[in-house]
Amino acid sequence: MPEFDLIGFLVQWLTVFGLYSILAITLNLEAGFAGLTNFGKVVFYGIGAYVGATLTTYLTLYLNNVDPFECPPYSIDGIVKLIELGGKSPSLSIGLLALSLLAAFIAAGSVGFLLTYPILRVGPAFVGFTLLSFGELMRIFLRHYEPVGGSKGLAAIPRPFGWVGDPRLSSFIFLLLVLGLVALTYIAMNKLTNSPMGRMLRAVRDDEIAALCLGKHVPGIKALTLFIGSGFSGMAGALMAYYFTSVNPDMFVPAVTFNVWAMVILGGMGNFTGSIIGVALFTLMDRLLAFITPALGVAVISPDYIRWMFVGLLIVVVLLFMPKGLLAERPLKTPALDEARKLLVEGGGGA
Amino acid sequence: MPNILEARDLAKYFGGVRALDGVTISVPERSIVGLIGPNGSGKTTLFNVVTGFYEPTRGEVLLKNNSGSMERIDGLNPNEVFLKGVVRTFQVPRLFTSLTVLENVLVTPPVQIGEKVLDAPFKSRWEKQERELAKKAVGLLKKFGMEKYVYSRITELSVAHIKLLETIRGLMTSAKLYLLDEPAAGVDYGVARELFNYIRGLREEGLTFLIVEHRLDVLMDYVDYVYVLHNGKLLSEGKPSEVVNDPKVIEAYIGG
Ligand SMILES: Nc1ncnc2c1ncn2[C@@H]1O[C@H](COP(=O)(O)OP(=O)(O)O)[C@@H](O)[C@H]1O
Ligand SMILES: [Mg+2]
Repeated sequence: MPEFDLIGFLVQWLTVFGLYSILAITLNLEAGFAGLTNFGKVVFYGIGAYVGATLTTYLTLYLNNVDPFECPPYSIDGIVKLIELGGKSPSLSIGLLALSLLAAFIAAGSVGFLLTYPILRVGPAFVGFTLLSFGELMRIFLRHYEPVGGSKGLAAIPRPFGWVGDPRLSSFIFLLLVLGLVALTYIAMNKLTNSPMGRMLRAVRDDEIAALCLGKHVPGIKALTLFIGSGFSGMAGALMAYYFTSVNPDMFVPAVTFNVWAMVILGGMGNFTGSIIGVALFTLMDRLLAFITPALGVAVISPDYIRWMFVGLLIVVVLLFMPKGLLAERPLKTPALDEARKLLVEGGGGA
Repeated sequence: MPNILEARDLAKYFGGVRALDGVTISVPERSIVGLIGPNGSGKTTLFNVVTGFYEPTRGEVLLKNNSGSMERIDGLNPNEVFLKGVVRTFQVPRLFTSLTVLENVLVTPPVQIGEKVLDAPFKSRWEKQERELAKKAVGLLKKFGMEKYVYSRITELSVAHIKLLETIRGLMTSAKLYLLDEPAAGVDYGVARELFNYIRGLREEGLTFLIVEHRLDVLMDYVDYVYVLHNGKLLSEGKPSEVVNDPKVIEAYIGG
């Protein structure tokens, strides 16, 4: 048996865990809080990945005095040039990283915002399918859109920390960046929702019509929620492009969306901590099975199917015993709780 | 008193069903007006048209605006009608079922700083307002004997409390006009009277109420004026004592 590289395994697992955590936390904001059945999560992840990949490859060539339109990054020459030029300069690499993250946020967020328009036309029952179909449309478009490499996609995307030299160290720094963004997402979502805004989102989810009658601008609230959720997912996508150093249309199949849904349902709708646990369990199991299944030598059934089977089994078992997922939704924490407790304990203060 | 709400020749057809068929009513400021009639006479539909759920097939709805003139509100969306100062409750209560009682009541107030996305993450910006609203909310819940249920979920409440809570939720805002759809249905007699006493108190403070209610024993003691609907048309109107003695009304109620 080959020696087990624990550090390597952990870095790999935690990076994937981080990327999916951002998707799961934001899906929980959209679906768990605002009741938006976003079956198109992969769209925004994909937009972020392509924006990051395109900006980084084109600009790496351009800023190194290679004309990216004569020697495009998806051509053999372009790939050779990218490998030769990419990741040499710290300032350029970091600059491109920052630009990619920002552009990915804005691009994915804006598409999310704009997609609420058709969503509101079709009514809540079809939101999921509209977004799902949009994802497939995007994938078909990308397959045939030459400037981003068509069905082959873009490869040799320069790593943001390639200039560090030691590949293990650069992977580790990248992991820290990913985990930093997870922490930012988690804290931001918790702060955002433990507030009157979170209350309003849950109200919209519970009864859209009642919320509307209480003056809440339901379409605007949904658009804003999708902007935020998609923006963060776009950043996760950009990081994913750097992690794999390549993107292609078939990375963005609906299965990605359903994986994220499974993680969120497993962890508990409306509970961000639950989502992180759901992602951790899922990705850990996935990684372990990826290690173990080849060793088992199962040839009759593809290891992929075995993984899917386990995932399905896990969900069924957990939901059987905990219908709300591992962690149930909790009442929001706002100072109103504290104020109410004071008034009720003192027994005074009745208006 | 000048009118705060007027419906002129209001009609709403659903295919062949004439749920409202040319109804003209006016609600004076600082009054409690009753809207009664047998089941299916169009009372809820009138509320739905006034609050922007449906566009009327014919006619118009006018609301007194802040500068004192009458302004058309038919065709506005429900959230816009709310922001003009009109709150409604539903015949079949529509509470936020996964929120606590306190949270339900706290959803109502408009212009909450903490509902804005750029302020929500910063508690210091909205904490003061939140505490004030909580104080008001708990005060209202106490007033109607619901202090035991402040942290309860809606699923744990009795039908009567659910009905009551929907009205309380509406009272959390300083609207000008309240449209209450059967607020006392299923609520016990004593609490129902308490509710109407409270409504009367709010009227003294300057608020206006248009109330659909089947419990005439309670309603008639509190209203200034009553409209009676029948098959989408006005059957009768007047002071409570006049209306209850109107033979047409008696016949409609008995004849169904
Ligand atoms: N959305 C609708 N579609 C079709 N018919 C409706 C609709 N809403 C109400 N109606 C009909 O309009 C009539 C009046 O209903 P409603 O206003 O609910 O009466 P009330 O509140 O006085 O009991 C009834 O015949 C009812 O079936
Ligand atoms: Mg009715």
